[in-house]
Amino acid sequence: MRSGRTSPDPTASPLAIQALTVVLLACAWETIGRTGLLFPELFPPLFEIVHSLGIYLTTGVMLPHLRASLYEVLGGLVVGLATGIPLGIVLGSRSSFIEVTEPIILYLAVIPKIVIFPIFILFLGIGTESKLAVGAIASFFPIVLLTMAGMREVRPVYVDVARTLGARRLQIAKKVYLPAIAAPVFTGLRIGLGAAVTGALLAETKIAKAGLGFMIVEYYSQFRLADMYALLLLIFILAALANWLMKALFAMLLPLPRTSQDPGLFF
Amino acid sequence: MSENSRAALWRLLLIFAALAIFEASVRANWIDPFFAASPVQAVRELASEIAHGGALRLFLITLYEIGCALLISTVVGLIVGFVLWRYRLIGAGYEMILAALFSSPVILAYPVFLVAFGRSAAAVIALSSVLGLIPIIMNTKTAFQQVNPILLQVGASMNLSRSQMFRYILLPAVAPTIFAGFRLGLTYILKSVLGLEYVIQVGGVGMWLSDAAFRFEVTEVYAGLTGTVLLSILFLYLINRAELLVRR
Repeated sequence: MRSGRTSPDPTASPLAIQALTVVLLACAWETIGRTGLLFPELFPPLFEIVHSLGIYLTTGVMLPHLRASLYEVLGGLVVGLATGIPLGIVLGSRSSFIEVTEPIILYLAVIPKIVIFPIFILFLGIGTESKLAVGAIASFFPIVLLTMAGMREVRPVYVDVARTLGARRLQIAKKVYLPAIAAPVFTGLRIGLGAAVTGALLAETKIAKAGLGFMIVEYYSQFRLADMYALLLLIFILAALANWLMKALFAMLLPLPRTSQDPGLFF
Repeated sequence: MSENSRAALWRLLLIFAALAIFEASVRANWIDPFFAASPVQAVRELASEIAHGGALRLFLITLYEIGCALLISTVVGLIVGFVLWRYRLIGAGYEMILAALFSSPVILAYPVFLVAFGRSAAAVIALSSVLGLIPIIMNTKTAFQQVNPILLQVGASMNLSRSQMFRYILLPAVAPTIFAGFRLGLTYILKSVLGLEYVIQVGGVGMWLSDAAFRFEVTEVYAGLTGTVLLSILFLYLINRAELLVRR
């Protein structure tokens, strides 16, 4: 039983399949939208969506909302980094610490962070701070877990060799620990950014005065579906762009970033 | 005492210490009780809601949504994953699309599902199924791709039929990786169901939490949160146990 029942067409490639999929989806969308075959209200004409996306990209209509969301996401990421990296370093520095704390952190990481939002509202109000807090807690878990994973990679023999060679604490930190944790921390940062985007924007859809998530729900409640789809598309494009930029940057800084950590825990 | 037991004991001590500090902080008014309920109050409220209120029904609704989403994701995910492996070109084409979807904040598209299914459990199940589907498809495809060809050659040399080959060689070889995808899918579904219930205020435990927050019932908010945390922990524990059984 073997895989490999490939198409006989030698010119076919994954890229062609992807392009064909996009074209077929667009055609299906237009057909369903125009004929009203299925959920007629769900498929506004594609040109309306593209038109709205064009407006978002060429005018400043979304700028205040983009600014609010960026503040929450990046602020959350900074808090996640500022707490996650030092804690990850401390907890990852001893195997006994890892053994005790890692399962607790893994279990806590699975809890949907959005459900803590009402607690943040109680303490921080319905302004941007509570959304920033959701972003922070969402990004904290991948960062702390991956920093711990990085610290675990440092074999005691490396530290012993550095000590034998007369390296001081700072030199050991710089020459032994930093190279070991750089790749996992960068991966944690990238996954943490994704988690912060999801957390903060989802919180915006619940209660907010501004932000991209807030606008999604505004368009939904006004039944401006083409505008809503265009905004979703914009968010997906921005998220993909940020992810790609980070990957490219890390690939430039670290030739072989890799991690064995389960990304599904960092939703 | 073994090293594992000692670590487990330390873990319990750490959790109890954190809860005790929180309990003491609320009782001593270091944290304003207007904003926080103590763990004892939260657990008592949760127990009372389960015994006399509607909490048990809400838990069952959440479990039902998780079950439906998991069933849909598993059936569709296994079939699609298998097809993507069998037809390598299509698999290669869709791998990137799936990876892009996997890293996108798809959950933000929940209003689309509200338009399609209304503000109902069906919307929660549909979106959660989509979120759980992606890792199951990807892992199923990877699982079949990674089967050692030597195992297949051994099967062929023993003149196994196609069904025997599938039953005795392919299935045991792919089970651990598929289960890893299943575990990931279930994690996504759990988070999605609880998160969506809270955000769109329908269904079970998540809706209870949202409703309590809306009524500013602080103890109930913490009780709902405790219920959500316990449910998440229970699921992860069960998945871990099941994974150990599959890998054995």
